[in-house]
Amino acid sequence: MRWSPLAHSEYRTVLTSKGAWILALLVVLWGFRPTYAGWDAVGRNITIGYIQIGVDLLLPIGALLLSYQSLLGERTTGSIKFLLGLPLTRTQILFGKIAGRFVGVGTAIVAATLVLAGIGLLEHGTFGLLPFLGTLVATLLLASAMVALGVCVSTVTRRTVTAATGVFVYVLVTLFWSQIVTSLYTAVTGIPVDPYDAPASGPLFLALRLTPDGAYNVLTNWFLNVGNSTELFHIVYTKLAPGVSVNAFVVEAAFDGGSPWYLHPSLSLVVLLIWVVVPMALARRVFTRGDAL
Amino acid sequence: MSTSEPAIEASAVTKEYGDVRAVDSLDLTVKHGETYGFLGPNGAGKSTTIGLLLDYLRPTSGTVRVLGHDPRRDIVKVHDRVGVLPDRFGLYDDRSARQHVAFVTETKRVDEDPAVLLERVGLGDAVDDDAGDFSSGMEQRLALAMALVGDPELLILDEPFGGLDPHGVRRVREIVHEETQRGATVFFSSHVLGQVELVCDRIGVLHEGQLVAEGTLDELRNRTTSPDDATVEDVFVELTDTRVGDEGEPR
Repeated sequence: MRWSPLAHSEYRTVLTSKGAWILALLVVLWGFRPTYAGWDAVGRNITIGYIQIGVDLLLPIGALLLSYQSLLGERTTGSIKFLLGLPLTRTQILFGKIAGRFVGVGTAIVAATLVLAGIGLLEHGTFGLLPFLGTLVATLLLASAMVALGVCVSTVTRRTVTAATGVFVYVLVTLFWSQIVTSLYTAVTGIPVDPYDAPASGPLFLALRLTPDGAYNVLTNWFLNVGNSTELFHIVYTKLAPGVSVNAFVVEAAFDGGSPWYLHPSLSLVVLLIWVVVPMALARRVFTRGDAL
Repeated sequence: MSTSEPAIEASAVTKEYGDVRAVDSLDLTVKHGETYGFLGPNGAGKSTTIGLLLDYLRPTSGTVRVLGHDPRRDIVKVHDRVGVLPDRFGLYDDRSARQHVAFVTETKRVDEDPAVLLERVGLGDAVDDDAGDFSSGMEQRLALAMALVGDPELLILDEPFGGLDPHGVRRVREIVHEETQRGATVFFSSHVLGQVELVCDRIGVLHEGQLVAEGTLDELRNRTTSPDDATVEDVFVELTDTRVGDEGEPR
């Protein structure tokens, strides 16, 4: 492919940066947290839970920080004039950027995953291969969504400070997503939301799982078979355990009997794919129109 | 492309930034095989014009054709056959000179040894040095090596003499000569007027976004009140008398 030298160059940029390896290290350090709740929830599969814990918090911000400068940085230094002078369409330039950064971030995060798997193997013994592979795929999908979003931010902004603000706002919004969603829900419907005893509202639960990290948790909880929720696996388990009250939104706890079809965990795959495709399409739309400098 | 077709053809090209008209109804034809010097004071619109030829920028109105193609529609075909030395560029600080050139050879899919090209521009001793340690003259030489990849049919050089010492200036002139001998068309912008005189077949003078004069140096002398032995500088100053030195060329 015409853009493979560019992708290779981007990949190299990511993997020779300290950031990629700091991300991998932090995912391992943050993710590895043996708890009784975690062990009770999934037994030896707690190793896969470590991956969920580390990736859910750190991969989105890490991948954004490793990609939001990808095009903007070249605009700032002026190296974009060489890039645009190559026999590549602007769409190919974007593809090369996203593909290269994704493979770079993906390599670092797979390395972190394998280290966590190795630690878990030594500490707790073997774990389920299928949930592990499923989690690995979901992790790479989350990485690609965040890289696509980062490159998109890099494309649509003209100043580093604007792009950095965009990243910061994204992180804040997703961090407080459940508070934002429940406040909006109450404002619109007038129904107060008690997270200890959430209303059985399909739209409310759907909104909660629309962020990339929310969708990631729903998918990985599904693979771990703990319950249908955007919370971390051990919290979902605790919520569903009899006699325990936890402020967490878990589908099985709110809906007695059947929940709406659109809350099926497999649909979080679609949510993640949308987060890959929409930023790419938006970036392409902006970058292929008008001036590129 | 037939050799009778112009290498560059711009018709009624206008580029506006808000209220500012950087390029104003520009008609420009550069013939195949010629060396064309594109002159103008700072802010005249030279780099903007070059940006329009390469589809870095899109014209507000008018049409551009490069090597017989619309650069917007056929960017790959155009850039495959064009070598570009941009103005006010930046390099990748942590990459060696060789890696810079290899990036271009790989993308253009040509089998050329970066070291040979770097030797040609006088960077034979710095092939594996990081560009971050380069002086401005070395950066300029590296950018020229990148432009020369794949024996392009058309070389677009924006201020190729910028930052160069006299040896570098001479080397660029020799390379331009070698390239035209090979059959390439060379289009370059400059405000280093003495060099233009030594290199160019034809000269176009851009002033406030418009081509105010075009022709051989003799023809330009005849169009002005300059004497027969007038230098390019004399002719240039007379043609661009107003607002000379106005800084701040739009991108």
